[in-house]
Amino acid sequence: MEEIEKTLTKEQALIEAERCLYCYDAPCEKACPAHVPIPEFIQSIRSGDLKGGREIIEEAHPLIESCGRICPEESFCQSACTRAQIDSPIKIRELHRYITDHTDPAENLDLLPADKGKIAIIGGGPAGLACARELRRMGYEPVVFEKKQLGGVPAQEISPTRFPREIEQKEVKFLHQYFITDVKDGKVKSLSEIKGDYKAIFIATGLINELDLDIPGTDLNGVHHAREILRKVKAGNNSGLGKRIGVIGGGNVAVEVASVLMLEDPKRDVEVIYRRGLKELKAFKKEIEEAIDVGVTFQFLAIPKEIKGENGKVSGIVVTRAHLGEPDESGRRHPEPIPNSDFFIPLSDVVIAIGQKASDFFPEVEKDRKGLIKVNDDMMTSVKGVFAGGDIVRGASTVVESVADGKKAAKAIVKFLEGGE
Amino acid sequence: MYKKKDLSIDFLGIHLDSPFVLSAAPPTDELEIAYNGLKAGWAGVILKTTSVDGNPVNLKYPMMSSFGPMHKKVVGLGNIDLISAYHIDEVERRVKALKEAFPNKMIAASIMGATKEQWQTLVWRLKKAGADLIECSFSCPQGSMGEEPGKMLAQSVEATEKVTRWVKEAAGDTPVLIKITPQVTDIVEVAKAVKRGGADGITASNTVPSLLGIDIKTFEPYPNVFGKGAYSGLSGPAIKPLTLRTISEIAKNVDIVISGNGGAFNWRDAVEFMAVGASNVQFCTLPMHYGFRTIRDLKDGLAHYLMDMGFNSPMDIVGKALPNIESQEELPSPITRAEINEDKCIGCGLCYAACSDGGHLAIEWDSNKRRPHVNEDKCVGCAMCMQVCPIDAIRMKEKIDGQLHYFVEER
Repeated sequence: MEEIEKTLTKEQALIEAERCLYCYDAPCEKACPAHVPIPEFIQSIRSGDLKGGREIIEEAHPLIESCGRICPEESFCQSACTRAQIDSPIKIRELHRYITDHTDPAENLDLLPADKGKIAIIGGGPAGLACARELRRMGYEPVVFEKKQLGGVPAQEISPTRFPREIEQKEVKFLHQYFITDVKDGKVKSLSEIKGDYKAIFIATGLINELDLDIPGTDLNGVHHAREILRKVKAGNNSGLGKRIGVIGGGNVAVEVASVLMLEDPKRDVEVIYRRGLKELKAFKKEIEEAIDVGVTFQFLAIPKEIKGENGKVSGIVVTRAHLGEPDESGRRHPEPIPNSDFFIPLSDVVIAIGQKASDFFPEVEKDRKGLIKVNDDMMTSVKGVFAGGDIVRGASTVVESVADGKKAAKAIVKFLEGGE
Repeated sequence: MYKKKDLSIDFLGIHLDSPFVLSAAPPTDELEIAYNGLKAGWAGVILKTTSVDGNPVNLKYPMMSSFGPMHKKVVGLGNIDLISAYHIDEVERRVKALKEAFPNKMIAASIMGATKEQWQTLVWRLKKAGADLIECSFSCPQGSMGEEPGKMLAQSVEATEKVTRWVKEAAGDTPVLIKITPQVTDIVEVAKAVKRGGADGITASNTVPSLLGIDIKTFEPYPNVFGKGAYSGLSGPAIKPLTLRTISEIAKNVDIVISGNGGAFNWRDAVEFMAVGASNVQFCTLPMHYGFRTIRDLKDGLAHYLMDMGFNSPMDIVGKALPNIESQEELPSPITRAEINEDKCIGCGLCYAACSDGGHLAIEWDSNKRRPHVNEDKCVGCAMCMQVCPIDAIRMKEKIDGQLHYFVEER
């Protein structure tokens, strides 16, 4: 599967860069969770110093290859762009990607000696990697515990059409080579399993488990979980699914898995089945557009009622037509079933993509009712010296927010260990 | 569909259907191209400068280069072109052919000689061929053919007067324009010499000697002629402010008809040239860049402008701005302050950055609201903030004895 979005041409990049007003106290930079100095890297595109641009981004953002490709800019930097008040916002992510696509990571880095002690980082996703890099830069020895592969969700699950493997590997390899003292293979489920002389612990496991649909028929052969499918495809394997697939859900993962399955076999039908309408779809605009582009269809206002099967194998789904009522606690209009409106959609497979949930790991630290770990302003959990960040604290979020957590946690850990600011 | 004013003018006794003519340059160097220009609606052509035998024209290619913002956009165009490679015999034929095809357009020729005999022969031959006007290039910055090698003729006041006299002597009642360079110590002295020499008018002014750029990897200049480069004549929007000064200085000090040339890129520029004293405006870089079709905007824009302003003829504009141009010390001394239109402001903060690091620390910045605020006690009214505002939300409020005046830049 080839990457869909192309990198900007030099002409496109220069024209776009020139549109940037170079705002003082730039609102885009403030809106970026990692606070990437956006006007500065755009200036380096204008002047033709792309290496300078890479340094500027890298300084603020350890996962710069990912974010140039998958950051939902319209939710962050771009939403604050002053230029939008004149015509349209700057294509910031695309300019970011123009820099990373045209430069290589530095070699033979000049780092402080790693002699300030080991820090355990549980989880090698964006938050863990960001925290590790920042700690290593400040002279610590980050040890990452990771069961699967370094890189987390972007590396393991995001469609290769949006984030190709070789790019992801380039990023992870660079971070591993220079900033991580050791990687320990193993799933850590409680603090007591972490043996060794660690000065602090950072929990960044992300959300491991997927939510199940609470309707009859989920035990049938042919019912799958979205992230499972994404991991399979990202690893280079075939999903093994049939010709008529229904994806249940209305978030980024639902849209992503639908696109991936469509691209895998353009002859199949892939339908996203969602309780609410297009406006309520909680996915990033670019992903929705790409899904429509590749041929994914949408069944809106359809509440799943029962997955039907023949001989233990999925044959379709019964859904109830909904109408949208008043906004619920999510702020979106709530789907209400219309009586006697059930209809049947024949399907070969059902993919469930209704969300993720926290695991019951790390019973030692305090959690909220959703099972997410509670932290204070310094990212510290209820256990002294144990910090946490990323999705396990925020719930499902973005790479750049996890990176911001990792950076913040690293600073807090150093402050905790060394005192001062 | 709008009612339009008649754009025709009388220029040194020649009827022009608009003030816009094609200058002596590549667009007038081929018969077919010049023909197309006139057909497209330009009021006249000045055929590219010709010379007589004994002056070989050894053109080097490539000859064009440009500069502008980082993406490809011509703000300044440079050339290392020379005069036409066509012999006077051919130019004579073209004058005749064009005059026959376009009896109501101005067919002019441009000449450049070395000796009195050359100058006068050129004039006689073109006059006989039916040229409506003769323009003399005293100012081609490339490949000097003046009396002193390496120097433009119009850089010498004496030579300018002398050669003008020779030319006018031969031209008789055919109008003569002398095309000068802005690259002189005192443009007024040169214009006076042209006047003393008896020319009917002055073309102000030619391209500006320049070096367009250097390739920072090979250290070869632009345009790059097999690794080497020479100084170029600069034209295009970049030189418009220079030309405005040149025209206005001449117009304020010498009673002579001026043909404006150098940097006009649209009808607004042309109006400005005329407002400081030009009677018509020559174009070259604009049609070279975008084609002869650009005449439509020039004519329509001028016609609508005349209508909106209540002028009857383009000649009503000529010299309108001159009484307002004074030396710095003669200017009034208003109390000036920046005035920011907060409703229009988009909060980019550029005025704050400019005032903080290059002004008077007179703008305060509200980071939460993203709005600048002028501290009137510190503001001196320099107008730097106004220059950097991307949406013209800043104007300068000037006050003298309770009377208000505003500085805004119309674009």
